[in-house]
Amino acid sequence: MKTFKLLLVAFAFTAFAQVNAQTAEEIVANYFENTGGIDNWKKIKGIKFVASVNQMGMEIPIEMVQLTDGRMATTITFQGKEIKQGVFDGETLWNTNFMSMKAEKSDPEQTAMVKQAGVEFPDPFLNYKENGFTIELDGEETIDGTETFKIKLTKKPIMVDGKEEENIVYYFFDKDNFVPIVSRAIVPSGPAKGQMSESKFSDYQEVEGAGIYFPFSQTMGAAMAPGAEAPAITFKSVEVNPTVDDSIFAFPKEDATPTTKN
Amino acid sequence: MKNKIFIALAAIGLLSVQSYAQDSGIDPKDLFGDIRARHIGPAVMSGRINDLESHPTNPRIIYAGSAGGGVWKSNDSGATFNPIFDEYCQSIGAIELDPNDPDNVVYVGTGETWTRNSVSYGDGLYKSTDGGTTWKKLGFDKSERIANIIVNPKNSNEVYVAVLGALWSDSDERGVYKSLDAGETWEKILYVNEKTGAADMTMDPNNPNILYASMWEFRRTAWSFESGGDNSALYKSTDAGKTWNKIHNGFPEGQLGRLAIAVAPSNSNILYTVIEAEQPERKGLYKSEDAGQSWKQLNNDFGITVRPFYFSRITVDPKNPDVILKGGLTGSISRDGGKTFRNLGNMHSDIHDIVFDINNSDVIYSGTDGGVYRSWNGGTTFEIVENLPLSQFYQISVDDAEPYNIYGGLQDNGSWYGPSSSSGGINAGDWNSIGGGDGFRVLKHPTKNIIYSEMQGAENVWRYDVDKKLVKTIQPLAQEGHAELRFNWNAPMAVSAHKPDRFYMGSQFLHKSEDMGDTWEIISPDLTTNDPTKQNQADSGGLSMDNSGAENHTTIFTIAESPLDENIIWVGTDDGNVQVTKDGGKTWTNTVGNILGLPKNTWTYHIEASVHGKGTAYAVFDGHTSGDMNPYVYKTTDFGQTWTNILTDDIVGTSRNIQEDYENENLLFLGTEFGLYITLDGGKNWGKFTKNMPSVAVHFIDLQKRTNDLVLGTHGRGIIILEDISPLREITPEALSADVHFFKTKPMMLSDESGFAGSFGAETQFVGSNANTSPQIKYLLPKRHTFGKMILEIQDMEGNVLTTLTPGKSKGINIVSWAGTIKQPRIAEGKTLAFGGFTAPRVPAGTYKAVLTKGKDTFEQTFEIVNDDRAGLSEADRKFKHEVTMKMYNMTEELAYIVYQIDAMIESPNTKSKVKEELNELKKTLVITTGDNYVGSAKPELREKLANLFSKIVGSYDKPSNNELANLKTIEDRFNASKATFEKLKKKVKDVELKSFDSFKD
Repeated sequence: MKTFKLLLVAFAFTAFAQVNAQTAEEIVANYFENTGGIDNWKKIKGIKFVASVNQMGMEIPIEMVQLTDGRMATTITFQGKEIKQGVFDGETLWNTNFMSMKAEKSDPEQTAMVKQAGVEFPDPFLNYKENGFTIELDGEETIDGTETFKIKLTKKPIMVDGKEEENIVYYFFDKDNFVPIVSRAIVPSGPAKGQMSESKFSDYQEVEGAGIYFPFSQTMGAAMAPGAEAPAITFKSVEVNPTVDDSIFAFPKEDATPTTKN
Repeated sequence: MKNKIFIALAAIGLLSVQSYAQDSGIDPKDLFGDIRARHIGPAVMSGRINDLESHPTNPRIIYAGSAGGGVWKSNDSGATFNPIFDEYCQSIGAIELDPNDPDNVVYVGTGETWTRNSVSYGDGLYKSTDGGTTWKKLGFDKSERIANIIVNPKNSNEVYVAVLGALWSDSDERGVYKSLDAGETWEKILYVNEKTGAADMTMDPNNPNILYASMWEFRRTAWSFESGGDNSALYKSTDAGKTWNKIHNGFPEGQLGRLAIAVAPSNSNILYTVIEAEQPERKGLYKSEDAGQSWKQLNNDFGITVRPFYFSRITVDPKNPDVILKGGLTGSISRDGGKTFRNLGNMHSDIHDIVFDINNSDVIYSGTDGGVYRSWNGGTTFEIVENLPLSQFYQISVDDAEPYNIYGGLQDNGSWYGPSSSSGGINAGDWNSIGGGDGFRVLKHPTKNIIYSEMQGAENVWRYDVDKKLVKTIQPLAQEGHAELRFNWNAPMAVSAHKPDRFYMGSQFLHKSEDMGDTWEIISPDLTTNDPTKQNQADSGGLSMDNSGAENHTTIFTIAESPLDENIIWVGTDDGNVQVTKDGGKTWTNTVGNILGLPKNTWTYHIEASVHGKGTAYAVFDGHTSGDMNPYVYKTTDFGQTWTNILTDDIVGTSRNIQEDYENENLLFLGTEFGLYITLDGGKNWGKFTKNMPSVAVHFIDLQKRTNDLVLGTHGRGIIILEDISPLREITPEALSADVHFFKTKPMMLSDESGFAGSFGAETQFVGSNANTSPQIKYLLPKRHTFGKMILEIQDMEGNVLTTLTPGKSKGINIVSWAGTIKQPRIAEGKTLAFGGFTAPRVPAGTYKAVLTKGKDTFEQTFEIVNDDRAGLSEADRKFKHEVTMKMYNMTEELAYIVYQIDAMIESPNTKSKVKEELNELKKTLVITTGDNYVGSAKPELREKLANLFSKIVGSYDKPSNNELANLKTIEDRFNASKATFEKLKKKVKDVELKSFDSFKD
C-alpha cells in the first residue's frame, strides 16, 4: 500500500513534467514505468486470474489462465459445473458446448486469430516491435471526462471470412498517469462487423508478489450498441507465474468422437 | 519535499474553488457520464437516401449516404446496414471508394445535393483509410454540399471533387476541385460564378484524363426556388481538368437547368445526359455516341423530366450500354438505349440514386425518400431494407400514458405515433400511421384519446378519434372579411394546457378553436410582415415550375401558449416576427425589434413559453434560408421588452429548438443542425452531448414530465431518447466539490410487467431498445476513478450485504442498474444444469442502502424500493410470497450442502464402499446424474423440481397459488425424507473433512 501511494504522487509529477510533446514510445514507456517497471513485466510467464463476470444482475465466477507460449483456458463455473471456454493448447482452440456439455473445436480462422493474439500476452505493448506491431500517437481525446493520449496499435492482419483484414486497436492512456483507461477495436466479423467495441479499465492495483499494477475491473461491450449493458469483469485475484497442469489445455479425448442421439 | 507536495496539492485545491467562486458557471461537457442516448427509430418508413455506392470488386459491400442520417455500410449485399459516420455531419452528398484500395479508402462529401426546401447542409469532405471506421476531415468547410468525388482508378493520389456549393447564398467555394496528393491539398479547376455549382461529374472509365462535369445555376430562398440560367452547362476536359469546353452540340436553345451526366462503363463513347431546358418539349434524355461531340434527344417522358432539382441521376448498366436507370418520382428503366422507359417496380416514391450489383445486373439497389430498396429481378419488384432508422421528423410530442407514446410528423412519410417501450423492443409493428403526405406536427388531446395531425400547408388537418377510429378534417377555412389564408408548409398547431378542447393553428393569423377544430375564431391581425415580394410561390421553380407549397412564406411558424396563463400567447413567424399577447389575442406586440444582434427577418423557428415565469420565454431563430448558419437563441423575462443572448461560440449549426427543464431554470437543451447541446447554468457554458448521439439535426425536443425523459425528434435518425435527465438538475459547484455526490432518487418500483417478445424478423429489422426499468443508483464523481479498489454493495438497513454491483468509474454522472434481487441461491452440483436455479429472488419493498467503497472511504445513500401496484397484491400477499420464496431459497442451499457432503464422502477413502453405494443411490434422487442440457436430459430429480417451482413462483407477478403450494408440499416431503436418509447415512461415515455450511456458501 505504501508503494502504491508513492507511485500516485510520482504519477502526478510525471504528468506535470511530461504532458507536452509526448511520443507514442514515451507514453508506452511511461505506462510500463508507472505499472511496476518493464523488468517486472518481462518476468511474467503466465497469469492465473480468478474473477467474476457481472451482467444483468447475474454473477458468474470464472477462472482464466494464460501463458506466454499462447496457451490459455477460461473456466466458467455454473452450479458447480465447470464449463471451459476459449481453451487453446497451442494448436487447437475449443469450447464446451452448453447443451451437450462436451468439447467442440473452433474453426481455423478463429483458431488462427487466437494463436496470433497469443504473442500479445501479458500486454500487447510489451514486445510490440518484436511482434511486428506498430504504434502511433493518433491525437488526444477526452474519455469519461478524462484527458487521454490516443495510441493506435496496428497488429498483424487477420483472416476474416477468407479475406485478410487489418487488425487495429486504439488505446486511450490517461494523461495524468499513463495507464490505459479505454481501448477500442473494430469488430472483425458478425453482424456488427466494422463497428467499434469498447473495453474500459479501472481499479489498477498492485499484483501481489509481481510488482506490477493491473486493472482489477474491466468492462467489455460494443460502444455503438444502444441500450446494451456491457458485461463487467472484476478480478478477485491475479497470480503471476502460477503452477499450471498442462492437461487443462488439452482437448478432452473422450469428447473427440461425438455421439448422437435422436 | 513532502512540504512542497502538500503546497502543490493545496494550490490545486484552491484553484478549483476559485474557478467556481468567479461564477463562470459549470462546463457540462465532461459530466454526462453514463447518460446515453437510446434510439427507437422507427425504421418502418426509413428516410431519404442521397447517394449509393457499391464496392468495385466485392458485391457484399454497399454504402448508403442519407439526406440526414449519415453513412451506412452493408457487409451482406444490403440485407443489413450499420452506421459508420455518427460523429460527423449526417447530411451526405457523395460517397466514393478509391478503386485502387476500395477495402480501406473511402471519401465522404457532406451536404445533400437534392435541394428541396427542407434540405440540410454539409460541412466538408472526409476521408477514411480503414474502411469507414475512423475519419479525417479534408477541408471544404464552406462547401455546403458535395455532389461527386472521383478517384483516378490508376492513381490514388488524383482525386476530383464536384462541389455544388451553397443553396441559399452566393459562394465561391464551388465548382470542380482536384487534388494530386490524395486530398491533402486542392486546386479549383472549374469555376463559373458564385451562383453556379458542379451538379454532376463523371470520368471516362478507359481514360482518366477525360472528365465530364455539369454546372448548374440555382438558388433557393425561404419563399422561392430558381433552377437554371445562362451559366448552366455541360463541360468536358480531355487533359485531366486543365481545360474545359462546353459540349452542347445538339443541346436545346436558351437557358439550361440541372443536368445529369453518365458514361456507359462498357463503351465510353456512349454518354447520356438529362437536360432541364427552357422549352418543355426539349427537356429530357439526350444521348451521345461520340463521347460528347454531338447529342440527340431521345425521350421527353414525365419520368425523365420530372423535378430535375430532385432527380437528376442516370445510371448505366455496367455490362450493357443500352440499359439505363433514371431517378424520378417512380424511377425509370430503359432497355433500348433510352428510346423508351418503363417505371420501376413498386417502392417508396422519389428515387434519388440507383446502382447495379457489380456482377449481376438483375440485382438493383435504389435510394428513395423512404430508404434503400433491393430488386432481384432487374427492377420489376423491390423489397425495403428494414434496418435503416433514417426517419426525418419535423416535430414530435409525447403523452402521459404508461409507457408514454411519441407522436411526430415525417418528411414525405406521413405522421406516426408509437410507444417509448414495448415487449422485446420497439419494432416496426409498434408504430401507427396517423396521417399521410408530409407529416409535421402531431399532438395528443390533453385528456381525450384524440390525436391531431396534418399534412403540408394544412391542406388537411386531421382529428382522429383513436377508440372509435373516426377521422375528421378540421383545418381553418377562408372566412369572410379576412384575406386568403397563408399556411406554412409546416403549419403550426398547439393545444392548450388550460382548456383541453382548445386548439390553435397559425396561418398569417392566429386561429383559436374551443371545440377541437369544429369552430374557428381568428384572434389576431396578420402577425407577419405580409411582404408581397415573398408571396409569389406559384412562380417558383425556375425552368421547371415547382409549386408544391413548400415555399409558402410570410406565415406563422410557432405558437406557444404560456403554461402559467392562458391569456399569454407567443407567436413566431417565418419572416422573423416575435409577437406576444397578454390578453388572449386582443392586443399584440411585436418584440423582435428588442433583440440586439439578430439579423432582420431571421426565421423564428421556435418559442418556448417558460414554466418559470409568466414573462419568461425563449426564442430560437434559424437563418440558414438566407445563408446564415449561425445559431440564435434569446431569453426574455419581461414579455420580450428585453432579450438576452444565451449561446456561446461552442455551439455549431443553425438552431432549431430549445427545451427548458421544468424544475431547474438553468438546465436547457438545445437542438441544432449538428446535434444536441446542454447547459447547466442558463447558457454560460454549453456542452455537446455525444453519448451514442450522432451529430444529427435535432428539429424538436420534448421533456416527458413523469419520467424526465428527454425526447428528440431528429431529421434523419428518428426518435432518440435520453432517459431521466433529472441528475443534471443537481449538478452544482457544491455537488462537484464532493468526493461522491449521490443523486436524489424517487422511490423505485420493481416492475411486475412481463409479456411475450416476438422477435421474429429481428435478424434484419431495426428494433428500438427499451427503457431500463431496473432500480438505479446514480452518483456524481468529480474525477474518474482509475487507481485502487472501488466497489458498490446493496445492503439492508442492518448492514447485511444483499448483492455486489459493478460501480461506474467515470467523471460525471454514473448510473448503476440493480435488478432488485439478492444473489442466486447456491445450487447442488449435478451432471447437468438446473435452469430454474439461475433465478434470484427479489428483495421486499423497503429501505436499502447503496454503499460505495472507494479506497478507504465509504459513501452511502439510502433509497426506497416499492412494489408494482398493477399486480394487485396486498401487503400480506407480498409477505407470504417472500416467505415462501425464501423458504425455497434456503431449501435449495441446504440441498446443495447435502450434495456437497455426499460427494465428499463418496470421494473419501475413509468411507466404506457399501455406504458409498447407499450415498450414490440417495444422490441419484437428489440431482440429475446423467444426460445433457438439451433433448438428452434425464428426468428431473429433487433439485430440478425444487428449482423449477422456485423459478415459477419467483417469476410470477402473483402470490403462490394453491396449485404451486400443493406441489411445494410434495417437494418438501421428499426433501425432508431425503434429509432424514442423509442424516442416517452421515452417521455411518467418519473422518471426512467437511466445510461448514457458511464456508461452503462462500
